[in-house]
Amino acid sequence: MLDAFGVYHPRRTPLHLLPPWVKLIGLALSAVAIFILRGPTWTLVGLVASLAVLASTLPPPRPTLRGLWPIALLTVLMGGYQWFRGDRAGAAEFAADFLAVACLALALTTSTRLDDAVSLLSRAFRPLRHRISPDSVGLVFALTARAIPEITTILGDSADAARARGLAKSPQATLVPAAVRTFGWALGVGEAITARGLADDPEPDSDGETPEDTRGNVEYPRRRPA
Amino acid sequence: MIEFRNASVVAASSDAVLLAPTTLALSERRVSVIGANGSGKSTLVRLVNGLAMPTTGSVLVNGRDTRRQASSVRHDVGFLFTDPSSQLIMPTAIEDVALSLRRTIRDKGARTTAALTALDEIGLAGHSHVSVHSLSGGQRQLLALAGVLAVNPSILVADEPTTLLDLRWRAHVDALLDALPVQVIEVTHDLDAAERADRTLFLDGGKVVFDGKPSRAVALYRDLMSSRAEGRADA
Repeated sequence: MLDAFGVYHPRRTPLHLLPPWVKLIGLALSAVAIFILRGPTWTLVGLVASLAVLASTLPPPRPTLRGLWPIALLTVLMGGYQWFRGDRAGAAEFAADFLAVACLALALTTSTRLDDAVSLLSRAFRPLRHRISPDSVGLVFALTARAIPEITTILGDSADAARARGLAKSPQATLVPAAVRTFGWALGVGEAITARGLADDPEPDSDGETPEDTRGNVEYPRRRPA
Repeated sequence: MIEFRNASVVAASSDAVLLAPTTLALSERRVSVIGANGSGKSTLVRLVNGLAMPTTGSVLVNGRDTRRQASSVRHDVGFLFTDPSSQLIMPTAIEDVALSLRRTIRDKGARTTAALTALDEIGLAGHSHVSVHSLSGGQRQLLALAGVLAVNPSILVADEPTTLLDLRWRAHVDALLDALPVQVIEVTHDLDAAERADRTLFLDGGKVVFDGKPSRAVALYRDLMSSRAEGRADA
């Protein structure tokens, strides 16, 4: 079940019990530290510690290991590019640092309810509400998290379809349909977000009150059409 | 009440007429929309919640213009898509329904309770903390419906909501839609469901070619499709 990759799993680990804001700040500080502290020793310490943190959240092993493959591949590609440019020591260090930060990010997503993370981001951006909609920031975060398993599934389906057509060795046969489907999925999600009114700002009614003002925290009886 | 006032839709890229100028007033509790693929059914219903805007004319929902008051219209009009997978955003059922309620209920506890109530009403309370990926297609469609109904719309637009479902889930979703105490506008290829409506719009080539009694609309649609199939066979 690759769909379970990077998704919250209810556990009672220390990281699950920490408030989301502590984890988010911890992730930001750790990422900065990992990239600032140079040298092979620090790189190794960062990578091992990050893997340990991820393992401490007890993620489901198979989907996590399978899901880490694309990240590992991306790491190798980026490291390989630097290697190709002649910076061999820097390439290994950069790849290890990138993998370490990815593991920490995974530890955050597997130990934090997305709803809590969205609420946290919405609250954090509330002081900037006149410039950026706080709910939109939360929604962007939710969509990013939602896109990871979706795109992974699309890639898997496209690879299966390419194999079924005898085109397993053609990257085009997998990547082109995957890109088209991903684009289609993104359009569909955008449409659904609009239809659900999630992208709308609360609009004043004729009496000048917003829907929030009038509806509050109570349940409303179902209305019948006129 | 939904009013189409000479509303038409022309594709921006090709100038193709997707919906010819249409004037209608829909107040019946159940309205079905039938027609062949590409006949303009989805375009027509997308106008109702402001997903598409009329090129000419206007569409009013409960007296509100979809162009000028799109946000408040969407507050009144829920939209159910054919494929629920793009409609579901959050990883678990309860979180997804709670997302719909985020704009109206700020308190997290109250939001969770309301989301659970919405799931309970459609029989998904037992799956509230289950990943949306592990739900069946029918359960996902029910979840999408719960997310729409949680905000108490007065109108539900359903664009082929049962097309991807097996017979069991199709019957279940149909029964739920039939029992809803809101106005339902349903685009469907299920002619049995279309006949259960109070009024049917039959579209062909971007025009409403029949508007009235469901049994008559379905009969006309069957005749037209049969004659086209025979014409293709003769060719």
